[in-house]
Amino acid sequence: MAGSLVLPGIVSDLLARDAGPVADNPLAPRRPPQAAKAKRIIFLYMSGGVSHLESFDYKPKLAADAGKQVNGRTLLGPQFKFERHGRSGIEVSELFPHMAKCVDDLCVIRSLKAEHFEHFQATTGIHTGSWTVKRPSIGSWVSYGLGTENQNLPSFVVLAPYLPYAGTQSWDADFLPAVHQGMRVMPGEEPVRDLIRRSPTLAIQEAELDLLAKFNRKHQEKRAEDSRLAARIRSFETAFGMQNTMPDVLDLSQETDATLRLYGLERGSNKGFAWQCLVARRMAERGVRFVELIDSGSTGNWDSHGKMADHIPRAKNVDQAIAGLLTDLKSRGMLDDTLVVFTTEFGRTPHTDGVTGRSHHPYVFSSWLAGGGIKGGMVYGESDDYGYDVAKDLVHAHDFHATILHLLGINHEKLTYRHAGRDYRLTDVYGNVVKALLA
Amino acid sequence: MRAPIRAASFSASLLFSALLILPARAAVAADDAGVAFFENRIRPLLVEQCYDCHSATAKKVKGGLLLDSQPGWSKGGDSGPAIVPGDPEKSLLIKAVRYLDKDLQMPPKNQQLTAAQIADLVQWVKMGAPDPRTQAGPTVARVEAKPGIDFAKARQFWSFQPVQDYPVPHVKNPRWARQPIDHFLLAKLEAAGLKPGADADRRTLLRRATFDLTGLPPTPEEITAFLADKSPNAFEKVIDRLLASPAYGERWGRHWLDLVRYADTSGCNADVPIPDAYKYRDYVIASFNQDKPYDQFIREQIAGDLLPSASESEHYERIIATGYLAISRRFSSLGEEPHLTFDDTIDNVSKTFLGLTLSCARCHDHKYDPLPTDDYYALYGIFSSTRYAFPGTEIPRHPRNLIALVPRDRYEAEIAPFEAKLAKVDQEMDAHYARKVSLDTGKERNAADAAYKKSNDERDALIKAAPKYDHAYAVTEGVPVNVPIQLKGDPKKPGREVPRGFLQILGGQKVPATGRGSGRRELADWLADPRNPLTARVMVNRLWQHHFGEGLVRTPNDFGARGQAPTHPELLDYLATRFLAGGWSVKALHKQIMLSHAYQLASTENSAYAQKDPDNRLLWKFNRRRLSAEEIRDALLAVSGALDRTPGGAHPFKPEWEWRYTQHNPFVADFPGHRRSIYLLQQRIRLQPVLGVFDGADANMATGQRPLSTTALQALFMLNDPLAHQQAEQFGARVLAASDDPIRRLQLAYELAFARPATKDELRDGAAYLKAMEAKFVDAKTPADKLPRAVWASYCRVLYSSNEFIFLD
Repeated sequence: MAGSLVLPGIVSDLLARDAGPVADNPLAPRRPPQAAKAKRIIFLYMSGGVSHLESFDYKPKLAADAGKQVNGRTLLGPQFKFERHGRSGIEVSELFPHMAKCVDDLCVIRSLKAEHFEHFQATTGIHTGSWTVKRPSIGSWVSYGLGTENQNLPSFVVLAPYLPYAGTQSWDADFLPAVHQGMRVMPGEEPVRDLIRRSPTLAIQEAELDLLAKFNRKHQEKRAEDSRLAARIRSFETAFGMQNTMPDVLDLSQETDATLRLYGLERGSNKGFAWQCLVARRMAERGVRFVELIDSGSTGNWDSHGKMADHIPRAKNVDQAIAGLLTDLKSRGMLDDTLVVFTTEFGRTPHTDGVTGRSHHPYVFSSWLAGGGIKGGMVYGESDDYGYDVAKDLVHAHDFHATILHLLGINHEKLTYRHAGRDYRLTDVYGNVVKALLA
Repeated sequence: MRAPIRAASFSASLLFSALLILPARAAVAADDAGVAFFENRIRPLLVEQCYDCHSATAKKVKGGLLLDSQPGWSKGGDSGPAIVPGDPEKSLLIKAVRYLDKDLQMPPKNQQLTAAQIADLVQWVKMGAPDPRTQAGPTVARVEAKPGIDFAKARQFWSFQPVQDYPVPHVKNPRWARQPIDHFLLAKLEAAGLKPGADADRRTLLRRATFDLTGLPPTPEEITAFLADKSPNAFEKVIDRLLASPAYGERWGRHWLDLVRYADTSGCNADVPIPDAYKYRDYVIASFNQDKPYDQFIREQIAGDLLPSASESEHYERIIATGYLAISRRFSSLGEEPHLTFDDTIDNVSKTFLGLTLSCARCHDHKYDPLPTDDYYALYGIFSSTRYAFPGTEIPRHPRNLIALVPRDRYEAEIAPFEAKLAKVDQEMDAHYARKVSLDTGKERNAADAAYKKSNDERDALIKAAPKYDHAYAVTEGVPVNVPIQLKGDPKKPGREVPRGFLQILGGQKVPATGRGSGRRELADWLADPRNPLTARVMVNRLWQHHFGEGLVRTPNDFGARGQAPTHPELLDYLATRFLAGGWSVKALHKQIMLSHAYQLASTENSAYAQKDPDNRLLWKFNRRRLSAEEIRDALLAVSGALDRTPGGAHPFKPEWEWRYTQHNPFVADFPGHRRSIYLLQQRIRLQPVLGVFDGADANMATGQRPLSTTALQALFMLNDPLAHQQAEQFGARVLAASDDPIRRLQLAYELAFARPATKDELRDGAAYLKAMEAKFVDAKTPADKLPRAVWASYCRVLYSSNEFIFLD
């Protein structure tokens, strides 16, 4: 094994096959306990709170009663026009003209509910199922449950150009083993911390790794039974592999003009959500289990208190890119086994904040699922006439998580980890799979 | 943060109630139509869907709720009346069947009623819930009382039994044993038919002991001195030297900081800095270095401010010690959610000092251990009777209630008036804030906004011109109050009140009702009581664990039923007894452990034994361990010669009046440097990057044992991180400067990195590598004068990356 160290030609799947039993390699790919259509997941997270009332939940009565005073608060009508789209005729706001074209692939949930009205807690909530104390991220849980297909890449990648609310807690493995932590990948010269070879030439680094292999082999001779030593030797091979594989994943030069156009990405650019979406497809192709994309950070995001028009640049940043991703996945036959999730930490109030803005609203909001195992072109759940509360078919964030795990072939009640004397789950002691969404 | 969103939404739901409510009807005397509706649509539904758990015939009545009579639902269960006649929106029963609240879903387990059934129930409640079943059955008596905990039985569990002084067991081979510890271990090995393995060589032993006690590698001089010392107590002298080194407190203080989830920031949404937190960190380090008796260490951290002190400086130190409580995690952007902060305190106190998971009892009695909810709230009362320093957050952004560390005269003359000014501005600020958020847009709102801003500016100005005085982020006594149980852990659902006191399984002492204190003074004594069966056991187990890699109890924070039983219960008690008899001296315990033969064994494998005892529970060999995150970073710096040994001190935070941290722009900083890792900034919102890579402790929870991972990121760190490269260059330069002889250089590099001389083969390979790399660096266009350093840096990178560097035999 040590001899293979300096052969840059090693391909990932070889290592995947060689990954050994689970006991040795916590990231070895595992078959899900239940049959599942989705093999991987792309999690599109919109930071700051996307208004359900300006995206996927049209409220004509709110429009009709706009300006009415209700308990000292002024109702604000939807600030963007809605139209029906696709064969399904689902209403989508004019903020998302591209996504609207994909609506027949989406299962829009209009009755999502969460537990907290502050960004920080709401962000950890939708990621970890905990609105109070720190817990492992959904991506870490999936990595823990299923391992990963490509041993030269991490199992859980987070494409986040900006730090979101709650810092890195959204992709932290917390008490799960650290290998399941999300690896943050950023656009730019060093997309992953310490990824770029710092030794002056490849030849020098290879020589160093050769000598290291020799040192470690000798050290291991008298300590043959300690599997940690072998694991650490392997970690250098993986690191070396990643050092070469990751730039390849991020190298978009071989993508056609047509593909770039689809995402709305200029050649050579690594800006914006278009770059994130295209990289996500390339990660998915190469077997990364969980790719999370965070569109913005803890500022300059969807938190449009002052005026809902601030949603326009946010929507522009993501709309074509997401539609491009869905279309691209579909044309490559990958949408069948890739689950795409579009979500945010909470919705926004039916009444004003500022003059034409809205405040935080966890009591009902919208998200959508698409791809592997999902019924497209449907709407699930309803909010009430003004979009204040869930009116029908509540989908609590725990239910949302349970459903996502189910789509990956995991029973959310059985994916547990013993910590501090208790078996923990992503869904705590809650969660029901929403069966109506399943294809 | 903007307007009070929560309040807004409450008013929203009130609005909807108003829209949906039909005129309520007095429903006690149900009319015929109503009764008919009940008989046709409701009764069958209740019988079929609810009676299994909510009727006199139920095997076990759930939640104390009966739905088989009108008085049953009217009186309701644990959560109150189930139905408000005429008002479905206020009726818990309707809420439950609608599945709108994840905590209240009936029938449970996703067996939701059909839409038609729900509509019927709503209709019925709107009609005033006519119900002819006016007689409460004999059923209330059958509501099963919560089965109490049988404490007498629970006390039989090993960890709640008093610590016993076991006699040192006989062994077949007493000559092997050097300490009573060895007798206990050997007796078990002999019983299993195993023999202890070979001894570690002296270099291995020195490297082990030095890292264990100081977190640093031994220097070549220390190695030479130890090898030259032929006296029989040479190793004992080493232990004494290491225990006396200031580095000892920096290593063992770190273990303690792991437990108490120490951080320099609050953990609130803005993760604001706590400029005074370092004083507690330095206090911990100093306490270990002074070998402060452990019981005193406990008392000071829980109630140091209340203890009699011999001097002013001792009093200050003890106030700083209560920083342990003050550093409890903070939540939200508004300084809200104190119940989560108290939960964090309770969780930490119980795990750190007692090895119990009491926070499980926040919402319900502990499922496995004899820890009822009452005990949780008995402690909760003590902490909510305590005034914690407030670190500031997004709103309000200024710290409050810091404790002045000044002599009484000066305090009264100068500081108290200043604090009064601060308090006055704070009060005004709070009032302005409350007013501003109660107003919608408009003139008045603008005025309130301006007034609020003005009071913030005043506050900044006051602090900027503050008298220079020292203060602590600590606690003091608040208003003594017993608290009600929070049903299901929800502070909005108060239950019965519980008197402040201690865990029932450990004695159940109460805070005297006549006393005026919070109860911390008493709690400190209960925790530090030598008769407390857990305190000493838990601590000696921690010491054992950090010397042997695993504790005698392998779940150091859980001595309950879900934890592991001790591998050597008699030894655990023997050590606890000695610990108590020795006046809780931690250093004496180290010495006792390290002088044992078992500690001095080699980590050599034995495949036959590994078959029988794969986890080495019987300790037939020493456990090899990977260095911790701090040890790795500190060793890189120490070996290169770059380590800055300056102890203690504050972080370079911006002055308080410049803070504008919010959840949108939280405080984030690195403050890099070359000091020991324990002095690096510890944030709650993110791990210190280098330490995070190597499994550094998460400052959000009590870490009793760090999970050690092997990841590609760690390898990437060694391959490519600027710190690894800088230190390899410096290491190379150090070796180059030390001698002109290439062989002597290689020897020194091996001594520094591995604490051993290089073998002949290694010298030959090393020389060959250095030679061969020259050409490669020439190819890489390295200038001739930089070649030696470049080549040596390359070689040192390999030494740093090797398994031998990062593992300790």
